[in-house]
Amino acid sequence: MSSFFGRFKPGTSPASPASSNPPAKKDPNAPQPTPLEKLLLDAGPIRADGSDKFFGFENFGSTCYCNSIVQCLYYSVPFRDLVINFPSRSPPEALERPTQTPLPKLNTDISPLANGQNSALSPKGRNSMSSPSGARKPVTSPGATTGQPGTKPEDNKDSPEYKKKMAIAAGPVLTMDYENSKSYGMSESLFTSLKDIFEAIIAHRSRTGVVSPHKFLEILRRENEMFRTPMHQDAHEFLNLLLNEVVENVEQFAKQRKVDGHTDQETNGLTTTSGAVIPDKPSSIASIASINTGWVHELFEGTLTSETRCLTCENTSHRDEAFLDLSVDLEQHSSVTSCLRKFSEEEMLCERNKFHCDNCGGLQEAEKRMKIKRLPKILALHLKRFKYTEDLQRLQKLFHRVMYPYYLRLFNTTDDAEDPDRLYELYAVVVHIGGGPYHGHYVSIIKTQDRGWLLFDDEMVEPVDKSYVRNFFGGDNVLACAYVLFYRETTEEAMQKEQEAEGAAAASSVTTAQQESLALSPTKQNGAVNGHPLQHATTPTVEVDEPLANLNHAATAPLLHTEHTPLENIVTSIPILSPRRSNVQSKKEKEEKAKAEKEKKAADKELEKQAKQKRKEMELKRRENYKKQEDELKAALAASKASKLEDDRRRKENAVEGENGTTSKGGLSRFRHSSMSIRHKPKFWPSKDRHEGTKDSEHDPPTTPSADGENGTAADTSDKPEKEKSKNRFSLGRKKSTFHL
Amino acid sequence: MPVLPPPPRYPAPGHPGAPGVGPLIETNNTLTHPTGPEHQLVVGEGTYVLRDDLYLATPPPHPSEAPVHNPNPLATTISPPSVGTKLSLVVIAPRQASYSRLYRLDTTTSTRSQVPPSIQESPHETNSQTSDTGSHSANGVAPSPLEGLHTPPFGGSNPMLSLLNGKESKDPLKKRKPKSNIVKSNSSFVSRVIPHEALSKRLQEHNPNGLYAFANINRALQWLDLTSPTKEEHMTKVLFTKAHALCHDINQVTKGPNHIDLILGFSTGDIIWYEPMSQKYVRINKNGAINGSAVSEIRWLPNSENLFLASHMDGSLIVYDKEKEDAAFVAEDQAPAADPASDEKGDRKASLTVKKSVNSKNQKTNPVAYWQVSHSKVNAFAFSPDCRHIAVVSEDGSFRVIDFLKEQLLHLYHSYYGGMICVCWSPDGRYIVTGGQDDLVSIWSVEESMLVARCQGHNSWVTAVAFDPWRCDERNYRIGSVGEDCQLLLWDFSVGMLHRPRAASVRQRNSITSTTLRMQRSQTNGSVTRFRSDSNLTSTSQDEEEVVHPVEPRARTAMLPPVMAKKVDEHPLCWLGFEEDCIITSCSNGELKNLLFPCRKNTINWTLAAR
Repeated sequence: MSSFFGRFKPGTSPASPASSNPPAKKDPNAPQPTPLEKLLLDAGPIRADGSDKFFGFENFGSTCYCNSIVQCLYYSVPFRDLVINFPSRSPPEALERPTQTPLPKLNTDISPLANGQNSALSPKGRNSMSSPSGARKPVTSPGATTGQPGTKPEDNKDSPEYKKKMAIAAGPVLTMDYENSKSYGMSESLFTSLKDIFEAIIAHRSRTGVVSPHKFLEILRRENEMFRTPMHQDAHEFLNLLLNEVVENVEQFAKQRKVDGHTDQETNGLTTTSGAVIPDKPSSIASIASINTGWVHELFEGTLTSETRCLTCENTSHRDEAFLDLSVDLEQHSSVTSCLRKFSEEEMLCERNKFHCDNCGGLQEAEKRMKIKRLPKILALHLKRFKYTEDLQRLQKLFHRVMYPYYLRLFNTTDDAEDPDRLYELYAVVVHIGGGPYHGHYVSIIKTQDRGWLLFDDEMVEPVDKSYVRNFFGGDNVLACAYVLFYRETTEEAMQKEQEAEGAAAASSVTTAQQESLALSPTKQNGAVNGHPLQHATTPTVEVDEPLANLNHAATAPLLHTEHTPLENIVTSIPILSPRRSNVQSKKEKEEKAKAEKEKKAADKELEKQAKQKRKEMELKRRENYKKQEDELKAALAASKASKLEDDRRRKENAVEGENGTTSKGGLSRFRHSSMSIRHKPKFWPSKDRHEGTKDSEHDPPTTPSADGENGTAADTSDKPEKEKSKNRFSLGRKKSTFHL
Repeated sequence: MPVLPPPPRYPAPGHPGAPGVGPLIETNNTLTHPTGPEHQLVVGEGTYVLRDDLYLATPPPHPSEAPVHNPNPLATTISPPSVGTKLSLVVIAPRQASYSRLYRLDTTTSTRSQVPPSIQESPHETNSQTSDTGSHSANGVAPSPLEGLHTPPFGGSNPMLSLLNGKESKDPLKKRKPKSNIVKSNSSFVSRVIPHEALSKRLQEHNPNGLYAFANINRALQWLDLTSPTKEEHMTKVLFTKAHALCHDINQVTKGPNHIDLILGFSTGDIIWYEPMSQKYVRINKNGAINGSAVSEIRWLPNSENLFLASHMDGSLIVYDKEKEDAAFVAEDQAPAADPASDEKGDRKASLTVKKSVNSKNQKTNPVAYWQVSHSKVNAFAFSPDCRHIAVVSEDGSFRVIDFLKEQLLHLYHSYYGGMICVCWSPDGRYIVTGGQDDLVSIWSVEESMLVARCQGHNSWVTAVAFDPWRCDERNYRIGSVGEDCQLLLWDFSVGMLHRPRAASVRQRNSITSTTLRMQRSQTNGSVTRFRSDSNLTSTSQDEEEVVHPVEPRARTAMLPPVMAKKVDEHPLCWLGFEEDCIITSCSNGELKNLLFPCRKNTINWTLAAR
């Protein structure tokens, strides 16, 4: 039977690639459709943007840090789109590409032959367990093993191990052991390999499957010694590295392209030696000037301003820094909101950490705080759960309970920040499971465009309830806690729309559940439209009485607006009095009473209307007031901007002069920034710095990593002293200047 | 390529990662009296000291329920909703309403004149005040909570309701008890009832001014006498089989030395009306016959003996009668049919869907009324002191003010971000305070229908807010709040102080127009309508704007700092109550902190009284 099964599965899967597993068969051992497959049953045609692809990622042993982060990035919609569309291509190429050379490599063909080739081809030698053919074995005889004592965890059908095995077995498996960098016109890099993965997922005919990111890991390990060991790695560190790497690759490409473009123009008409450039040539020439290399920055980058106020001369200096994610310190029983506020709390610079004030010319005590000046589109929030404890001489995991809401705004913005009330929505959570920083497991829980929240646990993808996201606040005895949170900007309208949709979905699910459980006959359900029989008797009276009531109203209160809908409800409530006429009391009395009541109601209504009117007026005034305030603010901002431009220009001039004149201020200066940030944002500093223009230019040459620790990465490096050479260039820890953390 | 180790496994059971299963046997409550500066709160008016620290025993899981032990921390099984310990407090003796202190004589004479006119003249206060409210306020007397007595009873216009009620309330002195005996019950819902050995003796010894408390801890409900010298010993403990009691409330109208009406809402949707003195009970919404989702909040309708309101997690508010039978509920689609305009509004989500009106003629069975507020979970609601409105807060961050007598939505506000968790009214009904997942306590003005201030100070979600009626007067309010950060925060806000920094012009203008506007109205009603249509031109839909209020940007809102912040517990707090002489907090694992404040005025020190 196992042989039958082995033949059967690959044979059928191409036939129904969308909801890959074949429908339920008589075979009791047949795999039940997974929750994900059930979820996707009603799916329509596959979208071209990749938003309805749900692929797991194979784990090659402790590569879950990579899987969880890449999944989060894949479902960061603008990021995915930009990765796919960079370098920009002309439309025909975009159409061509999937059918051209890469296609055979994409493994879209899932014939048994190709599948076999895949496993044979995979050079890294996946252990037999995870290879498709090997994994299929337990599938055929799960019933035999489940009841036995001492079964392996993967034999339990509910265990993630089993589900992961099943996922690989079900396939299709995209073995990403090739690279297409040439066809992108780029040299092989983490970026091209990430792009390969994204493209492959999108191009594939199946909605579900498993990706084996061989090449990606190979490049990662080749270029980064840190990730070469099969040890457990830090997912946040990886995210940071990946983002920086992508920035670097993209910029390098642009630079190279520029050079190529020039040579192209010089050697006008001659074919270039590099064949790879040819397909991109038309677009490249057109877009040389406009190659947008800053898209990672546009998405993830925000600006922090550190304000330092010298306590001696009261002089305040500002300095801006860019960040790609925010690392926040945690406290027991706190929330993300509070952690972010603490991040921006004032800090005293005293004793060993005195501040060198330009104004008074010496080391002074000062107050320093960091605020967010420019909010990023995507806010990657790193919860610093791994903390260096001095007495243990190593990192320790903090299990603090830290609440995170589905929606977020930031309190710690500067006064001149643009859109300081920007609304963020949570869309991805990277969860660390384990007792310490040196071992454990990462998974991610991601909100997809129209399939709700999904749990991505290596090869396994499973739909989860929205409330499931809240299981990872942490706390004592809770091993699984959120580690990196991805918030993206959204609007109130979008939020409300979504909540409405959620509500409607919940309501419909409730009604269907009721239908099922109560076994209500369809007639009864339909009965709701007409009301049940009792209701039939009453409704006509309401209809008849309504105009009457209106007439009454018109007599006593001419103030009846049809647009005043909320009040109409009162009117509808009156007719219901009518049945009382048949009661013991005399009809006349009743009518009078009703009339009196109506009049009273009318009076009430009048009053209410007045109140409403007044409120409305107030509201209007208030709004006008606001508008005025806003206008003033805008004017003031514009004025300050203009003056700032002026200032900056003057400063720049000064800086040029200063560069020649000033001498090094020594290691204690707090305004050195890491070399990397300068390399990535060369244009950034001169324009933004207000008071440190002179010093910045003087420190521009790259500094040693240890000196870096002084500011930008102080917290990070002290967190991970053994990883001194970490590439957390943009990650900004809370700048506690002391090292006991 | 080196040989890689196998992928990580989930931790073996027994690791601290395993969720706490709890004790396996019944345990007793423990009472401690920790002292020291860390158990004191220093506020302007003096020092609060921790008097009692009562730890309520967590009941073991029911034996029929195999302890579900899932070693997988990623298990996607949905656990039933549960909450921390909440309390319902009752003093049997009829006591002077705490709020009456708000309206001392001196307030009407001296300070009143400084109050901005808009507050004095408050026919517009809650925008639906009856005319007699207007006459009250004309005298400069603020509407008192006693006014609730003047407001028409809920559903008073429905003869079907009043008929039933009238027939049954022939003998008002004799309180009706529920039918079934809970001790002898063979219901599968109730697992066990453990009365105190000397229950009758303790009942006799109970000081009528003493404080009874009912507290839920997982599947247990404990009845405690907080004035007793043996307060750690429960009066009665009821263990339910599976369902957790999530909320409960005591009827303040029917309470008496021999009678307490307690209503309990459960995670299964069931509701139990329980009379602890006679140990009788009745089960309502049995197995979710009317609504199958968990009950998140339950309260007796003000001044009603029979009716109570329960909010279910599917976003519906349902009025039940404690003495009526359940009947399968089918929405009565009358309101939208009668009023096409409300249909239109329903599309805009700015209205209340009345699935069954209190005016419905079918009042033989429960529910009495059924309103769909929203589709997201209603976290809490509160009745206004004038017994006309309910403030409802939901998980989607919306906050609604509903006129429940007229069954219509008056206002819809939104949190700064995240869901809202708790809500309460100021004793005089002028302000509503909410707390939520934005870590903020927000103060809303009822009369101006706007956000007044945001209070920042909690380090995590705010789980409970309450006014301290003994420390409120007509211009100054004391608010307390507790949160997931284990902190108790106290806030003082005064009306004048808050308004001055911002929107000063609005206030000024308001005081003028309040007189001119009325004149205008008496002269020409037409001008009002014209004004309306004019504004309609500028804004797309005036009507909607009136109900739905946009989120206030931070730059425009006053921020209020706390007057006191103190970590009072090791665990997240979930309930807060002010009594005449103490503050009581409770936390998620059933620990009650009773903070005594010895120098409160007019204190009946009930520890002494109870000897």
